[in-house]
Amino acid sequence: MRYLRFKNKNTVIPACPFRVRRAKALLRHSFSEGTAGIRKLLSFLVIFLITMSSSFAQLPQPAKPQSGAILLKGGIAHLGNGKVIQNSLIGFDEGEITMVGDATRSKIEVAGYTVIDITGQHVYPGFILPNSSIGLEEVSALRATRDARETGQLKPHIRSLVAYNTDSKIPPTLRYNGILIAETTPMGGRISGTSSVMNLEGWNWEDAVLKTDMGVHMSWPSRMGGHFDFATFTFIREPNKKYDSQVAELGSFFKDAKSYNETGIKERNLKLEAMEGLFAGAKTLYIRVGSAKEIVESVRFAQEYGVQKIVILAGTDALDVAPFLAENKIPVVLPNVHSLPGSDEVVELPYELAGLLTKAGVMVTLSHNGMLARARNLPFYAGTAAAYGLGKEEAVQLITLNAAKILGIDSEVGSLEEGKRATLFVSKGDALDMMTNNLTHAYINGKTIQLEGEQQALFKQYSDKYSE
Amino acid sequence: MKQLLIAGCLSWAIIFTSAAQETFPRNDVRDERVEAYALTNGTVVVDYKTTIANATLLIKEGTVVQVGAGIAIPKGYVVIDLKGNYIYPSIIDPYTNYGIPNEKQKGGGNPWSSAEQIQTKTKGAFNSNQAIKAEYSAANNFSVEAKAAKLLRAQGFGAVLTFRADGLARGTGALVTLNTDRSNEVLLNEHASANYSFTKGSSKQSYPISTMGFIAVLRQTYLDAQWYKAQNPRPFKDISLEHWVLSQPLPQIFDTKGWMEALRADKLGDEFGVQYIIKGGGDEYQRINEIKATGAQFIIPINYPAAYDVDDPFDAKEVSLAKMKHWELAPTNPAVLAANGVNFAFTAKGLKSAKDYLPNVRKAIENGLSEQDALKAMTYTPAAMLRATNLGGLQKGKIANFIITSEPIFEKKSSILENWVQGTRYEFKPLEKLDFAGKYNLSVGSTELKMEVSGKAGDQSAKLVINDTTNIKLTSKFGKDLIEFNYSPQGEEGLVRLSGWTTDKGWEGKGQLIDGSWVVWAATRTGDVEEKEEKEKDKKEEEKPALGTNIYPFVGHGNAIMPTAETILLQNATLWTNEAEGIMEQTDILLVNGKISKIGKNISASDAKVIDATGKHVTSGIIDEHSHIGATSINDVATNSGMVRIGDVLDPTDYNIYNALAGGTTAIQILHGSANPIGGQSALIKLRWGANPEGMKIKGADGYIKFALGENVKRSSNPNSIRFPQTRMGVEQVYMDAFSSAVEYEKKWKAYKSLSKKAKVVALAPRKDLAMEAMVEIINKERFISCHSYVQSEINMLMKVADQFNFTVNTFTHILEGYKVADKMKAHGVGASTFSDWWAYKWEVRYAIPYNAAIMHNAGVVVAINSDDAEMGRRLNQEAAKTVKYGGMSQEDAWKMVTLNPAKLLHLDDRMGSLKVGKDADVVVWSGNPLSVYTKVETTIIDGAIFFDSQKDAEMDQWIEQERARLIQKMKAAKKAGAKMQKPKGMIRKSFHCDDLTVDLNTLNQ
Repeated sequence: MRYLRFKNKNTVIPACPFRVRRAKALLRHSFSEGTAGIRKLLSFLVIFLITMSSSFAQLPQPAKPQSGAILLKGGIAHLGNGKVIQNSLIGFDEGEITMVGDATRSKIEVAGYTVIDITGQHVYPGFILPNSSIGLEEVSALRATRDARETGQLKPHIRSLVAYNTDSKIPPTLRYNGILIAETTPMGGRISGTSSVMNLEGWNWEDAVLKTDMGVHMSWPSRMGGHFDFATFTFIREPNKKYDSQVAELGSFFKDAKSYNETGIKERNLKLEAMEGLFAGAKTLYIRVGSAKEIVESVRFAQEYGVQKIVILAGTDALDVAPFLAENKIPVVLPNVHSLPGSDEVVELPYELAGLLTKAGVMVTLSHNGMLARARNLPFYAGTAAAYGLGKEEAVQLITLNAAKILGIDSEVGSLEEGKRATLFVSKGDALDMMTNNLTHAYINGKTIQLEGEQQALFKQYSDKYSE
Repeated sequence: MKQLLIAGCLSWAIIFTSAAQETFPRNDVRDERVEAYALTNGTVVVDYKTTIANATLLIKEGTVVQVGAGIAIPKGYVVIDLKGNYIYPSIIDPYTNYGIPNEKQKGGGNPWSSAEQIQTKTKGAFNSNQAIKAEYSAANNFSVEAKAAKLLRAQGFGAVLTFRADGLARGTGALVTLNTDRSNEVLLNEHASANYSFTKGSSKQSYPISTMGFIAVLRQTYLDAQWYKAQNPRPFKDISLEHWVLSQPLPQIFDTKGWMEALRADKLGDEFGVQYIIKGGGDEYQRINEIKATGAQFIIPINYPAAYDVDDPFDAKEVSLAKMKHWELAPTNPAVLAANGVNFAFTAKGLKSAKDYLPNVRKAIENGLSEQDALKAMTYTPAAMLRATNLGGLQKGKIANFIITSEPIFEKKSSILENWVQGTRYEFKPLEKLDFAGKYNLSVGSTELKMEVSGKAGDQSAKLVINDTTNIKLTSKFGKDLIEFNYSPQGEEGLVRLSGWTTDKGWEGKGQLIDGSWVVWAATRTGDVEEKEEKEKDKKEEEKPALGTNIYPFVGHGNAIMPTAETILLQNATLWTNEAEGIMEQTDILLVNGKISKIGKNISASDAKVIDATGKHVTSGIIDEHSHIGATSINDVATNSGMVRIGDVLDPTDYNIYNALAGGTTAIQILHGSANPIGGQSALIKLRWGANPEGMKIKGADGYIKFALGENVKRSSNPNSIRFPQTRMGVEQVYMDAFSSAVEYEKKWKAYKSLSKKAKVVALAPRKDLAMEAMVEIINKERFISCHSYVQSEINMLMKVADQFNFTVNTFTHILEGYKVADKMKAHGVGASTFSDWWAYKWEVRYAIPYNAAIMHNAGVVVAINSDDAEMGRRLNQEAAKTVKYGGMSQEDAWKMVTLNPAKLLHLDDRMGSLKVGKDADVVVWSGNPLSVYTKVETTIIDGAIFFDSQKDAEMDQWIEQERARLIQKMKAAKKAGAKMQKPKGMIRKSFHCDDLTVDLNTLNQ
């Protein structure tokens, strides 16, 4: 693997700019010191040139397209649809899964494949992270690195795709734990914007995109408003007096959008145009919503305006209206499984929520909110859901096939099935448990993904420093 | 000077009695009258203990001359026939701002987003902290406010204590009557109290911003005042301190929002030999034993919360169990206080209107308070606590402040007829109870009607009786001589309006019909009306439903009964000992008297509670080196905040404590935040859910203090910040300055302490500086640093500073670039407490890696994994497991990162952190390998007492639902009965992180 180059620790340096500055300083220095300085400079330049090339290698590079058929043999395959094959054969070629088989059943044709023996290891479809600001945010405290929140309230025309930074330092740390696909989502405002689904790999956003402009994100008004009281460090919730007018404002926007998109000749309106796919079923409406009543009202609202695909982003309140969600086939994207209950709530409620909703017949996927860098814990959210009411395979399904269905990409990814894209990974142990999640191979569209990144390089670098 | 001061003290202690104002110029002839009254033929309640029936009260020139039955009325007295009405001493409110100009109190600037105000902005020779306003005199600013006085008099008040509620030290309060007279006559005592609070009021000075800062400032001010007072001449003039010193002999009144602050105030007072009178919050019943133990007198508000409108079950979720229970139990607060022998006075403070005062006192009586105790709290106690010996009763020589009521005062129908203040009579209703009850024939022009007047004498209404089922209400005004009636005749719109006068038979007069034509009318009494209402009242009393019980703490999942240490035998478990024995399979462990008593095979203990732990894993409890749960404030903002103490502001009601218990955590260090290079002092607590604040603390634990480096300290998130330091270069100098100053400080004290006893008497002790004290403790290795840190340069810097002053930094917390200087850390001897996988949230964590813990551990540093976060603090086992993934730690070493290693960093490893005989029985039973995501906590034991148990937890959940349901039904019943309601309002308690500026920005106060 390319990354193993850092084993030669002499060639590893922490950051290029330092070396450039050093070279310039030496240059100045050398003119005053004569030939000795020049010799020093020359030798430095040689080292500099060598190290330049290798230091770039610390960044995991976009991979080349799959060059030959690969067969993963002997692994425990978690298919993503709730099924598991204990001793599996998973083959893929030209970026597409060509074989999902049981190795114990005889006579499967494996000729033409490069066989990788993963006996005893686990193989999963790539995990999928919905509703994230991945690629839009780098260091959350620094304004210059924040691109997730455009100003304004009604802004479906704002597209995350074009701001997605493939060179962000965060995706490699997600891939390292098995997350290979993520939705990149604009935030803020009443209608936040239009999201896209990205492969967490690629030279540029065009290269990385899995599904373009697939969802419009909306924040439903809250019946309870409130203010923060510093005295008690509590958020005081009070009835929101503007609730009705806020709903009415959304209503007129949807009404106008609908009629705009039914009219033939018209003056172009970018906001209304961006809503078009919702009524035709090409885009999904994701509603971020709070309480039980608001869930019902927001879903009814979207249905009334003829929105074809509706998904809600909601927490424990979804439980109160689970029968409604099940009847109306409204899936739910849940926030952090690892979150805190209210004082009167069951202590484990956030852990149990995915299981309880699933049992009530609601389709559920998991997401992450808060510090983006911690989104890499998504697999362990599923692990916790498994510990609190779901089977392990059902828990895997939450962040694979369910996520794919909810993002409208299940025809391409989300499960290990012949004909789907070869976006999958192999872990030495159970990938839902932090103690055993340990990836050995990962593929996106059949491309071999370099798992180690900057963090692993630093680990190596400093481990070596102290072991000298 | 000293003599002057003493004279001042003495004069302040004298209570002034009113004397005629001869000094004012006249604009007329002299008109002095002797005002002498004899009120006879009534029931006089002389004080809360003494009632005299058929008594006479003699008053002259505003003072009681005599009271008793069968008194001969001296000549010259104007006789007033009470007509059987009742006299009570008037109500005294010891907590008002009556007649004091309002201070514009916009609250402090938010130092998180605006430029800090480092210095006071009070002009003049006043205290260095703007919130110390001890110089303020209510008396100097008081003037009679006729409108407010009238309102209060109508509700039965006769005198109040008034002060300005602004600042931590609020200056002196004045005792005034509610007479509408010259302020000179009304002011009884211009130095009646000194007032304090935990709110900084109009001060915008940045420090202090938290309750622990408020306490620190008050504590330092006590010390400063002692030091200042001891010097003659003064080293400089501080008018605030002068007044602080002067006002110490007065009643000291401390404002609090409830029991938690009351305990804090009392503890502060104890440090300086001050017993405050504490103005409470109405929730004292929740911790009555602790309240009783303060020995303080209380001023108690009676502003019970309104019931919540919880008809809709979804909406009802907004209201927490604690709020519902408080709604139910708040009216029992006075009764609970009285039953526990706490001496208290009532205040109308917090009520929307003084009109609610008497009804709410009656509600307290309905909820178990005796009438005698109620009257005492209204009259005698407020007078006594303010040392107003001439108020609070009607014995000879007392000020003639009394009210006349139509019934005994606690009867619902009782109304206040008159209020006498300093002998001045204010009349509201006639003393004579006019009784017109009866059946009447009413003729209006040519129309003949039947009329009934009913109700108690003095409070009657009239109606027209059409037939057995139909009545028409008459709007009526009964006077002694005159009468007015209005009514709409049956089936008609518009009013017939009648006016007239009394006659022997009833009334007669003239009036106008709807069409405007004038008629003559008359009403002639024909007989009596039978009354029937008493029975219903009795019925209601019988139906009174039972009250809910107190829980500890007073939030969801609170204990009905506090857990206590048991003898517990865990059998056949997998023990993670953290000792040389490693992981022991199929082993028993016995817990006795809060300690681990035995570990081994086949242990038997006859009296033990036996838990079959087959297949379970048992570990010592998780210890969180870096937590911010369980305290009401986390950050203060002085660059050196070494004087503030988290231990002053523990909050045992934080339900994150329970969440953490449910995750196997048994002990935590509550660290100060990271807003300052030198933060406040930590509190080390065990998660004894339900204990009181002091009961949470780990006795005998070493003292710790928070330091912080980098972006937070530079105030990077506040573009307007001007506070030193703004760079990492400045941060170093803050430390150099603090420690070199501390060395000088200690020298001075050592020199003073080495003086002979004789010499000490003459010499002046140096000023005690609480921030410097903390620095000296660090240098002397009596207090230990846990330093928030990120990048390698600053980590290295602090170690070098410590080297210069010959101490070791105890712990670097967060320490995300520790892996870059692990060798230097090892050499210095500092430990590390880090996050498992946080990074990228700000620039200084750009190179934070999840391998940090493993690298430092491998380099020989003692490493812990901490939370800094309530959510992570309840599953630190999982965070420890991540070091297996990132860095390949062994499972045992990973586990030590949340148990033994933090115990070492907190110097608690001699009694916690491993399963070893003799150590504290802080033990967790897990369903499986504690490092696995699939494992759950089954039981958490602290000091041998079970504080969390999954089965008990499930029962609690059920109880919460049932208790909520009971209270919701009760609220619905209250709504039906017409009680005041409020819309559900939620409260979501936010958890603290070390970046959070917390609390008390509301400088606004009552």
